[in-house]
Amino acid sequence: MNFDLSEEQQLVADSIERFVQDNYDLESRQAIVAQAPGFSETYWKTMSELGWLGLPFAEEDGGFGGNQIDTMVLMEQFGKGLVLEPFLASVVLGGGVLKRAGNEAQKKAWLEGVIDGSKQLALAYVEPESGDEPHNVALAGASAADGYTLTGTKCMVLHGGTADAFVVSFRTSGGTVDESGITLALIPADREGLSVQGFPTVDGLQSSELTFDKVAVTADDILGEVDHGFGALNAAINDGILAVAAEAVGAMEVLYKDTVAYTQEREQFGHPLSDFQVLQHRMVEMFMEYEQSKSLLYRATMEVAAGGEDAQRNVHALKHLIGKASSFVGENAVQTHGGMGVTEELRVGHYFKRLLVIEAQFGNTDYHLERFAA
Amino acid sequence: MDIELSSEDLEFEKEVRAFLTENAYKLGEDPNEWRMGWFEKAREKGGWDVPKWPEKFGGPGWTPNQHYIWQKETAAASKPWDLPFGLSMLAPVLMAYGTEEQQQRFLPDIRARKVNWCQGYSEPGAGSDLASLKTKAELSEDGTHYVVNGTKIWTTMAHIADWIFCLTRTSDDGIKQEGITFLLFPMKQEGIEVKPIITLGGSHTVNTVFFQDVKVPVENRIGEEGKGWTYAKGLLEHERTGIAGISNSIVALEELKAKARSVKRGNGSLMDVPSFKAKVAALEIDLMAVEYTELRSLATASAGTAPGPESSILKLKGTEIQQRIQKLTMEAGGQFSAAWGGTNAGPDFARGGMAGYMSSRVYTIYGGASEVQKDIVTKKVLGIKPGKK
Repeated sequence: MNFDLSEEQQLVADSIERFVQDNYDLESRQAIVAQAPGFSETYWKTMSELGWLGLPFAEEDGGFGGNQIDTMVLMEQFGKGLVLEPFLASVVLGGGVLKRAGNEAQKKAWLEGVIDGSKQLALAYVEPESGDEPHNVALAGASAADGYTLTGTKCMVLHGGTADAFVVSFRTSGGTVDESGITLALIPADREGLSVQGFPTVDGLQSSELTFDKVAVTADDILGEVDHGFGALNAAINDGILAVAAEAVGAMEVLYKDTVAYTQEREQFGHPLSDFQVLQHRMVEMFMEYEQSKSLLYRATMEVAAGGEDAQRNVHALKHLIGKASSFVGENAVQTHGGMGVTEELRVGHYFKRLLVIEAQFGNTDYHLERFAA
Repeated sequence: MDIELSSEDLEFEKEVRAFLTENAYKLGEDPNEWRMGWFEKAREKGGWDVPKWPEKFGGPGWTPNQHYIWQKETAAASKPWDLPFGLSMLAPVLMAYGTEEQQQRFLPDIRARKVNWCQGYSEPGAGSDLASLKTKAELSEDGTHYVVNGTKIWTTMAHIADWIFCLTRTSDDGIKQEGITFLLFPMKQEGIEVKPIITLGGSHTVNTVFFQDVKVPVENRIGEEGKGWTYAKGLLEHERTGIAGISNSIVALEELKAKARSVKRGNGSLMDVPSFKAKVAALEIDLMAVEYTELRSLATASAGTAPGPESSILKLKGTEIQQRIQKLTMEAGGQFSAAWGGTNAGPDFARGGMAGYMSSRVYTIYGGASEVQKDIVTKKVLGIKPGKK
């Protein structure tokens, strides 16, 4: 048994931690949020230069041959600074499908750009009525001469506004909630009939809505086999869950530590707040929620990386626990900071907002409990 | 013990409903004219514009049942906006401790909704520990006015308020609750600066207010110098009861159910999903109980007196329930609740769902944080006197 990072992983972790410390204080972050495109192109370039964007790709694809554990190390550090760059959208999700389902030509055409940061991918799988289920796909691929045409909507496409191409799920057979019959395609953002409307989310990140108006999908666009796209889609979403769970663990660490520090500074009734037992015990519970989250994060990430039989169940358990813990840690960090906690001036509220968005993504807390128990 | 409404009560309920229907906002009406007209008509009904004021001051002198009926009916009805600061918080203080001259000077404009008030209580160093406030009021040598210097924070609506009622320190002698003086003064004058605080929901309701050499005539002091804490305490209890917002939550819960029913899940709606349905049901049960906790307190409190320490229980449970409603509304909106403008994706109600939930976090902080309310219950209700800390 070994929970230590390898020497290489430790080096990466240290360098990301330094990057976040140097560049991601609240004021700098909010300045980036306030300007299009909502992230720093300079930082994005730095990330590619430092090799971070290639971490989870195979060496033969031009990557560093890492796995979910390497992504976890990175995302946990990102969570401490609420990093804005589209790593999750392009590398973990879009790239996650492409590396699994793409053929050599498709990978060659896109992965190099993803890894050097010159191209961005985004994953379009959520629909207006898909709820929390990734297999709930109504967008229908109507048969056409050389493939399909798509008419409909995809929503909450992370960083879609700046994406060069979209990985899109659509239905080629079966009923709306069947896992089989889902097909994946890689569609360039400038394809005729495709329009993208970007918008900000409460956490300062970017999302988008995609409208398909008779968008042509050719055989060359199809990723993997027709009707059998769910496996790669689900695997990329599982990677996404592991990634945001690691980010949430980083954010929770900031929240509980900021709270402990604040209660030692702030005096009321002639005592630092940290003298009050009711607050001490609450902070102990916040700390325990954080530790528990970290444990299950390690467990689920290693299980998935090892391709274990119990991987899917671990992912469901993790997303549930992270949601529950985030809620507790976030609410109590804000509460314990009092009025200051609900202002834009202190960072606790911003971390809490990010946790709320994570809770709602990739299936919420209740959904994953239900799947775990099923 | 009986919860039946008498035939008089039922008659009253009908009358209230008729009034609310008749005076509901009609499309195209000038909102401000409608608002002023509404209060005028309510006044003509015999004090319906100031339901909680004692009869002596023009209130309707309702029974607890009538108050309950009014609250229930108005929560869901089209009713003009109102701020509690003058009407429900300052007015009872003026009635109990103000001079007749002060009552005549301030109450009519409060009643007519002509003057908006804000509350100068919290300070950067005095939140939960309100009595440690430091904003200084010094009596001028000739004894005609005070000179006020200091900073107030979390001042709701200070940016639109005409007047402020303000706790100031006139003496540092004795325990901190002594030496506090209750002053009233206009907001639009030299020496007052209002700086907005933007909260996590993205909205501007609270402010920081700076006073520099603000002159306040002594006739604007309520009661005696140094006794302001006594007057302020009762006011806080009124604030707490208002913050509990129970009748609004009853309406909001029904809205939540309707929203959840509009969200498709499988062949049914989100309200058919067992985990969600169970949370809504548990919320409803708590709300049913707190509704009666409020009624029990309503039945014992005679109009015009401060509600007492039970108001802490209402504040604790009431705000927790409001937050749970916001949380479930956010959950019902799913991922779409995360949008921050710029999209029409998802159900209409979802947009701003997360911002609404973020805004609701302040409910357990303002008006005395939940931790402080629990201390009040510990001391004043359970009678536990803490030893030395």
